[in-house]
Amino acid sequence: MADTRPALMSALCYRDPRAALAFLEAAFGFETVLLLEDAEGNVGHSEMRFGSGVIMVGSEWTAEHKSPASIEGLMTQTVHIQLQSPDDDIDAHCERARAAGARIIAEPETQFYGDRTYRCKDPEGHIWTVGQTIEETPPEAWEAATGLKTTVHKI
Amino acid sequence: MASRVLVSLRVRAAPDRAFEVFTRDIGLWWKPNSLFAFTPNSPGTMAFEGEAGGRLVERLDNGKRFEIGRISDWRPGRFLAFDWRQATFSPEQSTRVEVSFEAVGDETRVTVTHTGWDQVPADHVARHGFPDTVFLRRHGEWWQGLLAAFGKIL
Repeated sequence: MADTRPALMSALCYRDPRAALAFLEAAFGFETVLLLEDAEGNVGHSEMRFGSGVIMVGSEWTAEHKSPASIEGLMTQTVHIQLQSPDDDIDAHCERARAAGARIIAEPETQFYGDRTYRCKDPEGHIWTVGQTIEETPPEAWEAATGLKTTVHKI
Repeated sequence: MASRVLVSLRVRAAPDRAFEVFTRDIGLWWKPNSLFAFTPNSPGTMAFEGEAGGRLVERLDNGKRFEIGRISDWRPGRFLAFDWRQATFSPEQSTRVEVSFEAVGDETRVTVTHTGWDQVPADHVARHGFPDTVFLRRHGEWWQGLLAAFGKIL
């Protein structure tokens, strides 16, 4: 079967991956597309989809894989969610996340580059950033706003 | 707790239509997997015979029908459940498949949950010597391929 997953996927570690799957669906609208549980009910592997993106949700499966909940809230990477459907509304998305138990650490705010964004922590402390483009702004406007030189590489 | 393989896919059809094609046309979209053959004479053609109380069978080329399992739940457009046995299973060994159909906008989220593989011992021929996680992974990948094939004919 052709592999239809994106070439880059984040794999997140949780102490309680089953609870994480439920939270991520309730908070962000992710859908579990694959879940494998062993005879003891431990999550062996799972994948969730959101739009064109896929994440893997797993346990602390080696001594080097840790949830922020196990290392004093630290992390070295965060996952960004970009709302891309015309039906999406980032303020409603934020309220949904809050209602599901996310701790909002930066309320929705429109940024100079034309995206409206918010930031939250899930129950185990992973930081998630969420953005939605609400206004197309040219790179010149970013430079005017920040003084930083912008280089856009066409791909 | 028990072992579980869950696979889900959104398909472009309403739940009633998805359920109808899943059941009536299973012989058209099913893709046999040589690792997980039901019988030594497989593959044949899959068919649901009857509704709740009926059965899922594989019609073999030699004219015989192998009963994969009884249909325990048949709710068109919503839910389907049946047992799943391979010919090599002992009488007390059986697994169970549940299929739910859930409307999401103008699509349907079809979710297959296959449980009971923990009743089939690690050294059983059906497992091909795979460690449990590898076996479940292979089975999950097969279900993903099956749902993708199902989604294509809708």
